[in-house]
Amino acid sequence: MSDKPSVQLEQALNIPASTAPPATTVRPLGRRFLPNERAWFHVILVLLCIIMIFPIIFTLLASLRPTGFGLSRDIIPEGGFFWGHYQRLLSTPRFARQILNSTINSLGGAILTTCIAAMAGYAFARLRFVGRQALFLFIVAMMLLPGITNLIPLYRIASDLRILNTYLVMILVYGTYGIPFGIWIMKGFYETIPKVLEEAAEVDGATPMQALIHVVIPMSLPGLISVFLVNFVFNWNDFLTALVLLRSTSMKTATVGLFDFQSQLEGNNSELLAAASILIMIPGIIIFLIARKAFLRGMVEGAVKG
Amino acid sequence: MKAPAKFPWQKLYPYILIAPALLFVSAVSLYPTLYTFYLSAHRFRRGTFEFVGARNFSVIWESRSFWNSIRLTGVFGAWFLVLVMVIGLLLALLFNNKLNGNSIYMTLIFVPWMISEIVAGIMWRWMFLPNIGVIQNAIGPLLTTGERDFMFLASGAGAMGVVVAATFWRALAFATLLLLAGLQTIPSELNEAASIDGATRWQSFGNITWPLLLPTTQVTVVFMSIQAVNAIGMFLSITGGGPGRSTEVLSLQMYKEALEFNNWGYAGSLAVIMFLVNAALALIYIRGLQSQNAFN
Repeated sequence: MSDKPSVQLEQALNIPASTAPPATTVRPLGRRFLPNERAWFHVILVLLCIIMIFPIIFTLLASLRPTGFGLSRDIIPEGGFFWGHYQRLLSTPRFARQILNSTINSLGGAILTTCIAAMAGYAFARLRFVGRQALFLFIVAMMLLPGITNLIPLYRIASDLRILNTYLVMILVYGTYGIPFGIWIMKGFYETIPKVLEEAAEVDGATPMQALIHVVIPMSLPGLISVFLVNFVFNWNDFLTALVLLRSTSMKTATVGLFDFQSQLEGNNSELLAAASILIMIPGIIIFLIARKAFLRGMVEGAVKG
Repeated sequence: MKAPAKFPWQKLYPYILIAPALLFVSAVSLYPTLYTFYLSAHRFRRGTFEFVGARNFSVIWESRSFWNSIRLTGVFGAWFLVLVMVIGLLLALLFNNKLNGNSIYMTLIFVPWMISEIVAGIMWRWMFLPNIGVIQNAIGPLLTTGERDFMFLASGAGAMGVVVAATFWRALAFATLLLLAGLQTIPSELNEAASIDGATRWQSFGNITWPLLLPTTQVTVVFMSIQAVNAIGMFLSITGGGPGRSTEVLSLQMYKEALEFNNWGYAGSLAVIMFLVNAALALIYIRGLQSQNAFN
C-alpha cells in the first residue's frame, strides 16, 4: 500500500479532506460498455442501501405499533403511530439505570483509552528508544487477540479480586481493549504534525513534556476526539464483556439488559423489545453520522495502516 | 543530529509515556491469556482448582461436541468469508468508480456496523420468527418441501443461515471499506493504458487490479477470519446454539462450559485452543502488514 490510503479513501468517498489533492478527472475502466452504466451502478447501490437499512426501518415501525399486532401487515397502524412503548421504557427505573450504567462504563473506558493512547502514541511516533519496534509489535499483537478468549480468565481474576459487578472493572477492561487501536490512530496523527513546532517550543525553553502538553496535544485534538468517539461507541455496543463481568441486575448495561429482556419475552410484546432496541442503537448511529469521517478513516487505519 | 540530554530523565521519557499503556495491556490482556494456560491444566471443584495436567485436552479430543463445534465454526466461517469477500469486492469495485453520492451510500451501508451485535441479533431473529417474522413469512413457504412449513430457526441449516446472513449484513461495509482503500492505491493510469491498448475489462481486472489488490485482499481475509472464529454475540442472541447443538460453535461452547456449567478448566482448555487459532491468524496478519511496510 502507498503511504496515504486515507487520503485516497477520502477522495473515493467524496469526503472533503483538509489535505485533499485536486480530484482526478480520469474516468475508470471500461466507459465504452453501456452508455448509461453509471445509472445502473446507482440503481444497484440504492437497492443495496434499502436492503441494509430494512431491518432497522422494520424494527422502528414495529416499535411504533401497539402491542398484539404482530400479524398486522399495515405499515402504518390505524390511528397513527403509537409512542406508548417509548414512554413506558423511559419511565422504567431499571431501563434508566441500565442506560446510566452503559454511559458511565463507556465514558470511563473511552476517557482512559484516549489519555493512555495520547501519551504512548506520541512516544511511538516521535521518540527513538531501545525496544520501540518490539513494544509496538507487542501492542498490535494484543489488538488482534480478541476479548473473547480472555473473558473466561478475566471473570476468574475479577472474581478473586472481588471487583465483579463494578464500574471499576468495566472501565479498566474497556479502557484497555481500546488502547492498541488508539495508539495506532494517534501515532498516525502525530506523524502528520510538523516537528518544527515542538522544536520551536523547546528552543524557547519548554521541556519536551511541556511541548507535548501545550503544543502537540492541542493540535492533535481532532485525532483525540476521534479515538474517544470510536471507543465510546464500541464500548456502548459491547455485549459480551458486560455479559460475563456483570452479573447483578443493578449493574447491568443496556445491551445485557436487552438480552435478558429478549429471553424473558420470547415473542410476546416484541413491540416493546423493538422500542428498547431502537433506543439502544440511537447513540451509536448518531455519533457515527456526526463523526463519519473520523470513523471511516479510523476503521481503515486500524486494520490496514498504510 | 543527536541533541545532548536536556533534562536528567530524558532517556526515560519514552518509557514513561508508554508505561501506562504497557501496564494496562499486560494486566488486562496478557495476564489473562497466560492464566488460560493455568486454567487449562486444572479442574474446578468445590471452589478450588486441582491440577489435572493435560487431562482436559484428552477429554476434549474425545468429545464429540467439541468436534461438532469445530465443524460448525468452519462451516460458519466458510460461508461468511465467501459472502463477505465476494460481495465486498464487487461493492468496492463499484465504489471505485467515484460515483456522485458514494459517500452517502457508504454511510448508509456502514450503519449496521455501528449497531450492537445483540441489537442486530434481536432484529434478525425477529424477522425469522414463526408467524410474525417478515422474511420467514415471505421465504419460508418457498422452501417448504414436506407437509410442515419450513422454519428457519427450527432447522440447523436454516438457523446457521440466519446467523451467517446477520453477521454478513453487519460486516459487509467494513470489508468493502478495506478493499476500497486498497483499490484506491492502484494508479488509474494503469487501467486507462490497458483500455487504450484494447484490453477488455476482464483482462485489465485479471492482469492489473487483482494482482495489485492481492495483499489487501489477504489482510482483509485474515481480518474477517478473526471475526468469524470469535463470533459469539449473534449466536447467543439469534439461536443460543440451537436447535439442539446445531449452531453451537466453539466460542459459544466455551462460554457455556464456563458460565453455565462452571467447568472452568475445560473452558480454559477450549480458550487455549481458540487462543492458538487466533495467534496463528494474527501472525499471518502481521506478516501481511509487514510485507506492505505498514511498520516503518
